[in-house]
Amino acid sequence: MPLDTLTTAETPEGIALPLRPAGLVPRFLAFAADFGIRIVIFFIASIALNWGGGLGAGLQLMVYFLLEWFYPVVFELSLRGATPGKRMLGLQVVMDSGLPVTPAASIIRNLLRAADFMPFLYTFGVLAMLWRPDFKRLGDMAAGTLVVHAGTVELHGALPDAPPRPPARALALREQAAIVNWAMRAKRLTPARFDELAVLAQSATGDEGTREDASQRLLGVAHWLLGRRGDGAR
Amino acid sequence: MTPLQFETAHAPQWDELQAMLERAEGSPARKRADRKADKKKGAIDGARLSVLYRRACEHLALAQARAYPIGMTQRLEELTRRAHQLIYRRHEPGFGIGRLRRLVLVDIPQSVRAHRGYLLVATLLFLVPTLLVGWACWRDPGFVLHLMDADQVRNFDQMYGPGPGSIGKPRSADTDWQMFGFYIQHNIGIGFQCFAGGLFGGLGSVFFLVFNGLQGGAVAGYLTARGYSTDFYSFVVTHSAFELTAIVMSGAAGLRIGHALLAPGRRTRLAALRHASADAIVVMYGVIAFLLIAAAVEAFWSSARWVAPEVKYGVGAACWALVIAYLGWQGRPRAAIDAKGTPDAG
Repeated sequence: MPLDTLTTAETPEGIALPLRPAGLVPRFLAFAADFGIRIVIFFIASIALNWGGGLGAGLQLMVYFLLEWFYPVVFELSLRGATPGKRMLGLQVVMDSGLPVTPAASIIRNLLRAADFMPFLYTFGVLAMLWRPDFKRLGDMAAGTLVVHAGTVELHGALPDAPPRPPARALALREQAAIVNWAMRAKRLTPARFDELAVLAQSATGDEGTREDASQRLLGVAHWLLGRRGDGAR
Repeated sequence: MTPLQFETAHAPQWDELQAMLERAEGSPARKRADRKADKKKGAIDGARLSVLYRRACEHLALAQARAYPIGMTQRLEELTRRAHQLIYRRHEPGFGIGRLRRLVLVDIPQSVRAHRGYLLVATLLFLVPTLLVGWACWRDPGFVLHLMDADQVRNFDQMYGPGPGSIGKPRSADTDWQMFGFYIQHNIGIGFQCFAGGLFGGLGSVFFLVFNGLQGGAVAGYLTARGYSTDFYSFVVTHSAFELTAIVMSGAAGLRIGHALLAPGRRTRLAALRHASADAIVVMYGVIAFLLIAAAVEAFWSSARWVAPEVKYGVGAACWALVIAYLGWQGRPRAAIDAKGTPDAG
């Protein structure tokens, strides 16, 4: 799957956890949402602290400072590992190993935001993200962090019913997987496309030539591959 | 073994693992009643969790190798991912009191000393322009106009000169607070940028160090030549102990990461950068602490008119000594001192 932007993190148990790095657009949207939230917070704080005098003004500047530099740090170190904007987009900040982000790494990536901002409007950050397959900005590279999609995508559902039938010939593992995965995507594919793909796989069902109910027969093969044997016979 | 047999054989364990994970993560989606039931059941059995996790890892590997249906491998991937996060989460104490204590007492001064080469370079980058420009402006006050425009210079004249609006005039506590906020927002921001600039091969840090050196030198030289030295030096002497040190420290941290990029040694550039930033960030914790102190001192002490300049010089000298002693000697583990046999001012 070289086209996918998946990266993997190997665990000590020797399995490769797939991580799905988030690209420029969701991250930009998350940033925009966070930016809006920060402005609202600052606005509210300004009104609340606007009882004249220097103490209020001083506190306003401190709020501004904290929002500018430490707003992401605080939220990234929370349980979700994401700022409110990132959470809206379903993103999460993790270490390269897939583990939750550490305090030091979060501070590094957010202090180096200043370098990503150079020379104006996050130019270097955007260039770095476009350049790399795992969409890291400069701060992410230095901190060893990754912004990933937190959820998984459900493309595959239950198989439609069909009477199980054995395949016409021995199928390689890849062929078996392809047929089962095709059957599980029945809900997402249009019927026409579903049938078209079934016709392509007719060598598995044996009777080439008949185009009708090709998908029904291939579904039967899929059920058979999963382990159903029809009338109780195994 | 067919996928269905595999699933019926192992699904109970996966369900158990999933239930455990949901309890441990305390996901907000779960109902309150469930949580109460959880409390009754007591803490999670870690040994059982790790057993189930390792099983799920084996099952995932098998499922992948045997090309089982994607739905099953995805479920196992999801389970192992969550369990992995839970089990291998580094149980750092975060930023609790104990961690802060250790940072202040040991880690910060140690890591500053570990960067002494970079500190030396940063100090020179800052000090040489300061002294050169300071000398030039002292000899010929007009030289300052090469670096600043006339408005700024007039401003400095007003601040430190005898006229109205000078910094020596009494000002209200309100203004002190406002200036405190300003110094925090402005100075710490500069410190952070000086560090981040190091990512460009150290050039950004060099720029900030030299630039700040030029500005400081110009102001100091000019005001000395104009004869406002008492006002100026008594104002800056105390907080500069923290502020100038912090700027040099952030420059050193920036130079460290720049150097790691330019000369990564036996690591790849990326690995060297990661390694260097993990070290340098501890210095930045020190920078934050120093600049907070500097902001407080500058806002509430340096501008206090009721303090005689001599007192300020005294306190300033004490602060410089304190800073140098802290960075030079604080946080040496007793074991290391014993090993060397020279207990130099523990």
